[in-house]
Amino acid sequence: MSPSLFFHLVLVEAKKLMSYRVDFWITMVVALVVNLVILWALWEAIFAESGKELIGGWDLNGILAYGVMVFLTGRIVRGGDLQMTVATDIYDGALSRYLLYPRHYPFIKYAQQVGNILPDLFQSLMMGLVAIPLLGISTTADVTPMSLLMAIPSILVAHLLFFLMSLTPQYIAFWADNVWSLSVMLRFVTMLLGGAMLPLTLFPESIQVGLHWLPFSYLFEFPTLVALGKIDLITWFEGICYCLLWSLLIGLLSIPVWRRGDLRYTGVGI
Amino acid sequence: MNRYLRLYLQFLKFSFSRSLEYRMDFWFRIVMDCMFYVVELIFFTILYQHTDMLGGWNYDQILIFVSGFLVIDAIHMTVFSNNMWWMPILVNKGDLDYYVVRPVSSLFFLSLRDFAANSFLNLLIASGILCWSILRYPGELETINLIWFLFLIINGAFLHYILQMFFQIPVFWTHTNRGLVTAFFSATKLMERPDMIYSIWTRRILMTVFPALLVIALPSRILFEGPDPLLISWVLGVTACSFLGMRAFWNLALRHYSSASS
Repeated sequence: MSPSLFFHLVLVEAKKLMSYRVDFWITMVVALVVNLVILWALWEAIFAESGKELIGGWDLNGILAYGVMVFLTGRIVRGGDLQMTVATDIYDGALSRYLLYPRHYPFIKYAQQVGNILPDLFQSLMMGLVAIPLLGISTTADVTPMSLLMAIPSILVAHLLFFLMSLTPQYIAFWADNVWSLSVMLRFVTMLLGGAMLPLTLFPESIQVGLHWLPFSYLFEFPTLVALGKIDLITWFEGICYCLLWSLLIGLLSIPVWRRGDLRYTGVGI
Repeated sequence: MNRYLRLYLQFLKFSFSRSLEYRMDFWFRIVMDCMFYVVELIFFTILYQHTDMLGGWNYDQILIFVSGFLVIDAIHMTVFSNNMWWMPILVNKGDLDYYVVRPVSSLFFLSLRDFAANSFLNLLIASGILCWSILRYPGELETINLIWFLFLIINGAFLHYILQMFFQIPVFWTHTNRGLVTAFFSATKLMERPDMIYSIWTRRILMTVFPALLVIALPSRILFEGPDPLLISWVLGVTACSFLGMRAFWNLALRHYSSASS
């Protein structure tokens, strides 16, 4: 796929999303306020009632910074609701149009997905500018320009991994009448096991070891730890490579599902 | 009243037969909701590995609180969720005409006509989790507290519906209410935490302006601390006022409905 075509699709998708301006701002403001209120209330209560100064290797300001940062990066990694469009294309018969294009369907969808995250990226940046100055100084997190720069490629590969993970449940639409539940299920599992709900260091030791061998932590925890300056350069490079390897593996696994489904596709919609 | 009951029975029959047509989705949705229950329970279990109390409640109490929320969520998914999904579509396409002209309340018809039979199974599962959490509770729970708690859970599910309607109805004026609905679901997270973790001002707001704490946090408090008449009156009063406000808002919206694509 040529880069110019890729970026053209990215811009088309971003413009479409930005056109719903009121929705865009309401979603952003409410999500930010609610998230900050809950984060602050919950962790202040836990630190106060447990009497501990460090929980899972984090102090209060550190865990608040983690909560804000994982919320901001997670929005970009999940990249809006575009995941359902694959199933919708199959149900409506709109997939036929893409099958005639001289480019592979997942590549076109990925370009659209990247376009879809541009408004999320903009929102996250705006929210970060508002939220991060409100946080106090932590002894367990150190956000620097370098750590933020390192976080950008980490978020992009995490986004690619999430996109590829979402593909196979969407391809089930070739067989099932509704796969929305599968996408929501994927979201629940990845949010919990990926560290979007809680830092993984709070999980029991044995579960942490198991999670280390799964791809979920690269989705949310890894980019967040990079942004918070908790990952050194070598570990960061290893993390990016592991994330790409998982992407490759999951991408390869989706190919036979696509091929099988493609054979069943009638092109008239369901 | 009888006419509405008979109508609702027809809705149930139709919804059950339709949901069994899509068998795979039937099971997917059940598994999805079970996954949600597991995630919620694990979340609090992990938190309690690091503290003994949260918002003044111990682990056994928080399990009842979370299970209560799961029951409310299951009632919402079973009774209201599908209808909430269809409402903006009907308004935007102008299909609301068919419901406005019928000789029954359009609010009743549009809020209750689609009963999610698959989520009904989840309601049974969530109720089972609530029973389990109550039975394993080591302290003593008085029967009167329990009766009030169960009654207020049903009230909480109704209040949850009313609050969502406030975010749905603006679709009569706007092209899309997607942002508002997303905002509502973000805001529902406020219900999923114990009330006492919030500061006094946040609590005041969450008991009046956006009464999220009245959904399950205060009913749980009544279960553990006994029925406080003032608190119960407050919960029921706010629910009644919210319902009247929502109905007035709905009627206002209907007056602004211009048929064929608002």
